[in-house]
Amino acid sequence: MLAGLLLAALAPPARADALDEVRARGALRYGSDMEGGGPYAFPDPDSPRSVAGFEVEIMDRLARELGAGVRAEFAQGQWDKLLWVLDSGRYDVVVNGYEWSPIRAEDYLATRPYYIYQLQLMGPKGTPARAWGDLKRPKPDGSPWTVAVLTASAADDFAHDENAGTTRVVRFDGATDAMMAVQNGQYDFTLQDGPAATYYGDEFPGLEAVGPPVSRGYYVVYARKSDPALRDALDAGIGRLAASGELRRILEKYGIWNDLQVGLATAFQGPIDAPPVRQADRGWKLVRHYGDRLRDAALVTLGLSFGAMPLAMAIGLAVALGRMYGPGPLRPALGAYVELIRGTPLMLQLYVLFFLLKLDPWVAGIAGLAINYSAYEAEIYRAGLQAVPRGQMEAALALGMSRSQALRRVIVPQAVRIVIPPVSNDFIALFKDTSVCSVVTLIELTKEYSILANSTRAVVEFATATAAIYLAMSLPLSWFARWSERRLGAEGAKGGLA
Amino acid sequence: MIEVEGLVKRFGAVEVLRGVDLSVGRGEVACLIGPSGSGKSTFLRCLNGLERFQGGRVAIGDAVLDAGQSPREHAKAARRACRRMGMVFQGFNLFVHQTVLQNVIEAPVHVLGMGRDEAVERARGLLDRVGMLHRLDARPRELSGGQQQRVAIARALAMGPEVMLFDEPTSALDPKMTAEVLGVMTDLARDGQTMIVVTHAMGFARKVATIVHVFGEGLIVESGPPDRIFDAPAHDATRSLLSEVQAA
Repeated sequence: MLAGLLLAALAPPARADALDEVRARGALRYGSDMEGGGPYAFPDPDSPRSVAGFEVEIMDRLARELGAGVRAEFAQGQWDKLLWVLDSGRYDVVVNGYEWSPIRAEDYLATRPYYIYQLQLMGPKGTPARAWGDLKRPKPDGSPWTVAVLTASAADDFAHDENAGTTRVVRFDGATDAMMAVQNGQYDFTLQDGPAATYYGDEFPGLEAVGPPVSRGYYVVYARKSDPALRDALDAGIGRLAASGELRRILEKYGIWNDLQVGLATAFQGPIDAPPVRQADRGWKLVRHYGDRLRDAALVTLGLSFGAMPLAMAIGLAVALGRMYGPGPLRPALGAYVELIRGTPLMLQLYVLFFLLKLDPWVAGIAGLAINYSAYEAEIYRAGLQAVPRGQMEAALALGMSRSQALRRVIVPQAVRIVIPPVSNDFIALFKDTSVCSVVTLIELTKEYSILANSTRAVVEFATATAAIYLAMSLPLSWFARWSERRLGAEGAKGGLA
Repeated sequence: MIEVEGLVKRFGAVEVLRGVDLSVGRGEVACLIGPSGSGKSTFLRCLNGLERFQGGRVAIGDAVLDAGQSPREHAKAARRACRRMGMVFQGFNLFVHQTVLQNVIEAPVHVLGMGRDEAVERARGLLDRVGMLHRLDARPRELSGGQQQRVAIARALAMGPEVMLFDEPTSALDPKMTAEVLGVMTDLARDGQTMIVVTHAMGFARKVATIVHVFGEGLIVESGPPDRIFDAPAHDATRSLLSEVQAA
């Protein structure tokens, strides 16, 4: 988010059209995301260090159209941020299943399409629904159909706009994640761009295409507003590839040619022009307009944090006590737990809970955060328990307490006081780590920011508002941490000589 | 009332106690003296099970600690022993998260299951006895060392122990605070409290002890009434210990 703010704040410097640069450099750099997968751009199975995909081949051909000796260079970026990085000048164009849209066309120059896509509904084999239209009636039990989509994709917009109150859109960070969740039975359908549905159909044998494709859109190449010559050259290049049949050959190779594609050569004589319609609101008005959505997302963030942290603290304490005072065989097992959880990314843990154990998103999110942080809390508690002088335990035992009583009445209460500052520090960290929960479809603050900033292009305004909300939520925690540190620092410092 | 037979304690290869026999009768005030490292503190900690030992046996009534016990049996026996004995540490070890009053009622309420009101009443009586009734709500860190040690004595007495164990109770205190604490201990002894006191305070031992045991290199080298031990020491170790103390 900060990156977005910075990138947007640093307006690209005035300079000559990028076409000259590309020719001088001998390389056309294009931004794309391998995570989006096949058949667009993905790690080449025959040579895993390079990239394959129909867009990769199109760009290889297009680069040559720009001049002799010009090569295409793949530049990896995060899919929903590709245009922001284009602004920063790290590459010359964006090509990655980016559909033509009026909002994007306002801020960027688009070529004519290199592919005409439709959206394909996919459902579990034998699903009673036979077409998109069937989703306009609620489920037999009256609840809405759930439709998994790739966040901020055309399918996302379409499912959202077509929603007649009988569907609920669930957003994923990856196209295949959405397919997997439907195959798992976690959601009813997924709406996918045609190429992805075709390409991955075989890998998800539990899914089938439901009804004819719906909607229609155009994949285009986006260039910066300041580079009309580059755009025009690429546009003309696509025209030549379409006319010569080269484009068809590439699309057929990936199994995504269909009758619709005939229009690529016949229906377009140049770039698609931006329509005169402008968005009603820009800038801060948008933030006010979407204020409710930001507020709801902030509540999700709060819910995840306050749901997960108490659990993390409880599990962490139990693990620390088990490691220090538990029976022999338990100790190495708990040590292994801490190392395993601490040593693997939170995102993978969430994947396991959500896709393998098929937990509800909220359960997976809270459990994932709680488990992940429990490992860190366990280590903090261990340090806290060790910091309690040995004499305290001896005094408790000498008074006739059992070991567990001594822990409960004497040792743990003191350890808790010692660990409050580091634990509240972790709470603040967890607060921001909740953003990872977007992989299990929870739209918390960071994800909502990303969605809004992308769809409205009011990047700076939403980034500022989002940062302000985070700060407003975490500052009280910081104050609490500092206050407790002061108070307990004074109390703990010289309690007894031991 | 306490019978110790052949107590052997090793830390790794080092034999700290080499077969100590001792018996303490009701109302006795036994002072254990000896040079540092002679094993007297370790001996005391074996009596209530804070330390395990490798040979011998300790019996206080029905609480019997035996070198052959499993860790679980030892823990159970130690707990029984602790119910009969109060212990006062060199470092006080008051519970730092509790007030003076909470420290004193903690074990009666949570170990003996005594009602809170009764425990508070008893605690007030004991704190009055050690001269700390005016600091009921103070935290340990707000007290001087002498005050903390007096509260620690009240805390141990609150369990109604048959025997009080003192592990160098004044070694961490300056002379004025030492006098406060020894005053309280002298009162206790006059009231007939059975006590085992590990100490370097020879004046106290001479005045209050009913019997003095001299430790040297893991054994009791000499035992007897204080007058005889201090005026006519029979053993070389005792003589050199007393001359060191006098020189100091």
